[in-house]
Amino acid sequence: MWGVIKSVLAAFLGVQKEQQRREDFEKGNPMAFILVGIIMALLFVGLIALVATWAAG
Amino acid sequence: MRTLLVWLAGGLSLVGSSQAALASGWNMPVGVTDLSREIYNLHMVIFWICVVIGVAVFGVMFYSLIRHRHSKGAKAANFHENTTVEVIWTAVPLLILVGMAIPATATLQKIYDPSDAELDVMVTGQQWRWRYEYLGEDVAFNSNMSTPRAQIRGDEERGENYLLEVDEPLVLPINRKVRFLFTSDDVIHAWWVPDFAVKQDTIPGFISENWVRINEPGIYRGQCAELCGVDHAYMPIVVHAMEEDDFETWLVERQEMAAEEALGVDREWEMDELMERGEGVYGSICASCHQVEGQGSPPAFPALAGNEQMLADIDWHKDTIINGVSGTAMPSFRTTLNPVELAAVITYTRNAWGNDTGDAVQPAEIAERLER
Repeated sequence: MWGVIKSVLAAFLGVQKEQQRREDFEKGNPMAFILVGIIMALLFVGLIALVATWAAG
Repeated sequence: MRTLLVWLAGGLSLVGSSQAALASGWNMPVGVTDLSREIYNLHMVIFWICVVIGVAVFGVMFYSLIRHRHSKGAKAANFHENTTVEVIWTAVPLLILVGMAIPATATLQKIYDPSDAELDVMVTGQQWRWRYEYLGEDVAFNSNMSTPRAQIRGDEERGENYLLEVDEPLVLPINRKVRFLFTSDDVIHAWWVPDFAVKQDTIPGFISENWVRINEPGIYRGQCAELCGVDHAYMPIVVHAMEEDDFETWLVERQEMAAEEALGVDREWEMDELMERGEGVYGSICASCHQVEGQGSPPAFPALAGNEQMLADIDWHKDTIINGVSGTAMPSFRTTLNPVELAAVITYTRNAWGNDTGDAVQPAEIAERLER
């Protein structure tokens, strides 16, 4: 699970180790990446909204 | 390394001389409001960040190109992928962008905060003039370009404020927060005064806000900044910023004028007065399309001199001017002109350039027609 999160974070930044990428594609479960990706994208949007509200307030 | 230093020094001296270029009018103006100064400073900060990045990136690039050139026997390092380097070159721009977004957002928040204004001015874009209305003060007027057509055609020498002069400037007090409410009667225009750092689209059926607090008295000029038709270039903006006392005096004067004008609606007008007034209105409002001698420029703008339909049917004539003709360039002048101006311009067009119906249209009658 932590491994999936780390890979999704790396994808957000756009940088990933070649070795890790291979591993994810060979052993990983695509559904896990998609789900974690969607959840983290929502969290990111929420975080931005929070920061914006704080800055505007 | 020494080559790099020489280049850096060269780059810095360029930076120094560009400071002079900035002062010479190539740059945006600092303006005359606190906010315009802030916007200018923000612009300069971001400009210099871009310059530093540009010099650094191109410096390293050209240094590498020259120092490690093929003729000197340079061998390419043949490696693939370096996560550390990739993380650095992703994180650094991210930090720079966030660093630029923070001051930019702080300034934007100020721009978008028109609260606590002490004066509200409605600015309406029209093809091709501006209309200013001091809300709650009973003062409203049109602001038409006053540059003579002869200068535009090239028959006369161009004046000092060629295409940047109007018959009635917008008058504002200094040191007071003035809120603008922008809208348009026809197409999208944009009210742009560089010295205020205000450039706001005026959109039909929509009201947008902006505000200004001018620090120095003076005359500030601007232009329509949204292509709005053939006379887009001929609807300049002139703002006369005055000391608060002078502004109050001016406002009272205008209010008295408006009251007098309102009284004028009820009295009987002589033909001569109507013709004189009508000529002025025609010159500032109608002549840009129908031409000074009423010859028009068909087919878009019909001739008024000898216009049979107009001369035969006075009701149609009045309706056309009050309500406009939908689907053509003829706008409604219901709100742009007051009853006296409407009556005067109708009288003028019926009795000028060889038209001689003898009709003297009375303001009272027009006022009644407007109520219907």
